[in-house]
Amino acid sequence: MKFASSAKFAAVVVTAALALTACGGGSSSSGGSAGPVDGKGKKLSVLTGVNNQYSAQQKQWFTDIAAKFKAQTGADVEFETFASANDELTRIQTSVVSGQGPDVYSLGTTFTPTAYATKAFVTLSDDDWKKIGGKDKFNQAALGISGPDAQHQAGIPFVSRPFVMAYNKDILKAAGIDKPATSWDELAAQAKKMTNPATGTFGMATGYKDNFDPWKFIWAMSVQAGNPLVDGKTLKLDDPTVKKAYETYFGWLTKDKIVDPASIGWSNSNAVAAFASGKAGYLMMTTSSSLPTLDKSAVAGKYAYTAMPTTAPGQTSPQGDAANAASILSGDNVVVADYSKQKDLAFAYINLITSKDEQLNFQKIFGDLPANAEALKALNNPALQPVADTAAKSKATPFTGAWGDIQLALLNVTVQSIPDLAKGSVDDSALQARLKDAQTKGQASLDRASK
Amino acid sequence: MSTDSLTAGKSTRRKSSRAAKPDPQSPDGTPRRRKGLSERNRPLWMLIPGGLLMVIIIVVPLLLGIFMSGLDLDQYSLRQWVSAPFIGVQNFVEALTGSPLLHAIWLSVSYSLIAMAVTIPLGIAGAVATQNAFKGRAVIRSIFLIPYVLPSFVVATVWRTMFQPGSVVDSVLHSVGIDPGLWLNGPQSYWTLILVQIWASWPFVYLLALSGLQSVDHEVHEASALDGALWWNKLRYVVFPYLKGPLSLAFLIGMLHHINNFTLPFVLFGVPAPSDVELLPILTYVTSFQSFRFGLSAAMAFISLILIAIPLFVYLRAVKLDDAETPGGKK
Repeated sequence: MKFASSAKFAAVVVTAALALTACGGGSSSSGGSAGPVDGKGKKLSVLTGVNNQYSAQQKQWFTDIAAKFKAQTGADVEFETFASANDELTRIQTSVVSGQGPDVYSLGTTFTPTAYATKAFVTLSDDDWKKIGGKDKFNQAALGISGPDAQHQAGIPFVSRPFVMAYNKDILKAAGIDKPATSWDELAAQAKKMTNPATGTFGMATGYKDNFDPWKFIWAMSVQAGNPLVDGKTLKLDDPTVKKAYETYFGWLTKDKIVDPASIGWSNSNAVAAFASGKAGYLMMTTSSSLPTLDKSAVAGKYAYTAMPTTAPGQTSPQGDAANAASILSGDNVVVADYSKQKDLAFAYINLITSKDEQLNFQKIFGDLPANAEALKALNNPALQPVADTAAKSKATPFTGAWGDIQLALLNVTVQSIPDLAKGSVDDSALQARLKDAQTKGQASLDRASK
Repeated sequence: MSTDSLTAGKSTRRKSSRAAKPDPQSPDGTPRRRKGLSERNRPLWMLIPGGLLMVIIIVVPLLLGIFMSGLDLDQYSLRQWVSAPFIGVQNFVEALTGSPLLHAIWLSVSYSLIAMAVTIPLGIAGAVATQNAFKGRAVIRSIFLIPYVLPSFVVATVWRTMFQPGSVVDSVLHSVGIDPGLWLNGPQSYWTLILVQIWASWPFVYLLALSGLQSVDHEVHEASALDGALWWNKLRYVVFPYLKGPLSLAFLIGMLHHINNFTLPFVLFGVPAPSDVELLPILTYVTSFQSFRFGLSAAMAFISLILIAIPLFVYLRAVKLDDAETPGGKK
């Protein structure tokens, strides 16, 4: 084949180019098999997301952890950062194609299924788990999105970032509400009491233009109503529970009028800003990383975190497993590249960063919760307690390589509905058609995944 | 070496083809003496490094792209991508029948044409207005160029901020009693895109029109003034013919740029894009990097390449014609 040979030639060229630019060549052979890993003269390459909120602290953390790793193994660590999910994806794609690049990657939980589908990362054996301190070391809930089943896991939990809501204690009190809602219906009713367009105060703040939040709401409400969205090889977006979820979510804006009409153009950070200025009762879909911002804002000392409702719209109490679906299982996993020639060294590094002390230290600096079970128990910041509780009540999104597409399809329903939202009502047949479209696209993607 | 024979072979072929054509200077078919060294022994081998680079950065990726468009390549087969199943033209069939590609092509081409139709008169007007010297002309000319020197990303971010619901644009229009509706989603987003595109790209037309105006000889102005031509006739029959070349160039490059413009719609509307502005580059991007259908997206990219090749071909033909008109013009 003429094309195939030119393709191979190109692959060689690309690989050569990468070899020139790749940092941290993994040319040395595998380290020792048992006992402390001897990594003298070796260099481990780690790819992780850049932390814009705490960039100076992150640089410091890199230096500190590298020094500790050097003391333990004698090897150096080189950190590379990616600025965005796209950046990360590009890096992974080039590495996957060329079989060369970082040894250890840090991945968001919902991206783990896609990464797993490429088969470019190590599925951990029992031996491998022992090298990082055993499976029991981790918060068991956090392992829920490490692989398709307990025997095939590639993602090692590093931090948890469960989604919760924050509420403004003063606004709730002024409206005569003594405790935050635990069902979506109650939430809407409470928010209605707090809404006062004259003063620009709204019951809740959320961004309809956010790239992630909308599908998380739909996922939560559907799962709590007993629809897991992906049931084996079948996608269930055409289920009435999904439609009900969209109606509830859109209804906050069109029927209940408990969110700022401008929020059709908001992302999550706009919602945080609105809540921080004291103009909203609830801040939906936030994480503990909003804490530093809120503590410096007008609502400092007046707000608290709590789990989001777990009772599906239209119901009075959590059904089935709903109580354990307070948030998607969210956070970061680390994975080891299959092509890495120093896997033992990589495991030694992961063992270090997932140790109790390092996890607690990481929490203190960055706010993300530990994935290490002991460290999670040892947390003693009362403000974070509801967040820590939610970490144990998080449910994994379906583990399939098609999840990215399904997520996109769910988000697309909201994007295409925004003009209707702006007009004040979403036409039922239009919503039905959009859901059908999402179902078709998502199912096609699911079919490819199970092929 | 083989390169030598290659060069020799090429030059003989060139010579024979040239000899076949009637040559006014050498009717008997013998090579012209004064061209001896330059034609026959041109050191073409010196083009090898540059040629090799062109092959690596243009030809190989192009062939790879075409090859990929025949593969069922996704995240499941990415790792051993060369051995991904070959499915012939199925990706093209799916792109044309099972995806919004045709809609995307229609949007891309129509938006580009509308934007060009507005920017050309704007550009000419700007150029004519700043043609004659007046006080502060340099400042005005610099201001005109601001949209052109700003990075596309910055332009799109600023416009997006202004067009947010309840933001600057809305409050200004509200104050005069107009409810503008939604700018960044819904049917109006198509016109938002055109508006921002016009703002960002008219200085390019302006620049080329200005260069055309500069080439109008002073004598021509004088002659037409002596003939009693008033401003419109002068513009229409004397100046515009000079602008034909630069403006058709501006039109073609502008069209190519608009059809290929990814940054502007991506930053303005995000992904997934509202269906009214799901342009060709956005669709290709989403297919590739959100859905991981690399094969399908390569097919889409190939179709858009063909689409772009049409105006490009017209342009190259036009340039060649110009070249032939120039006496003594050489390749």
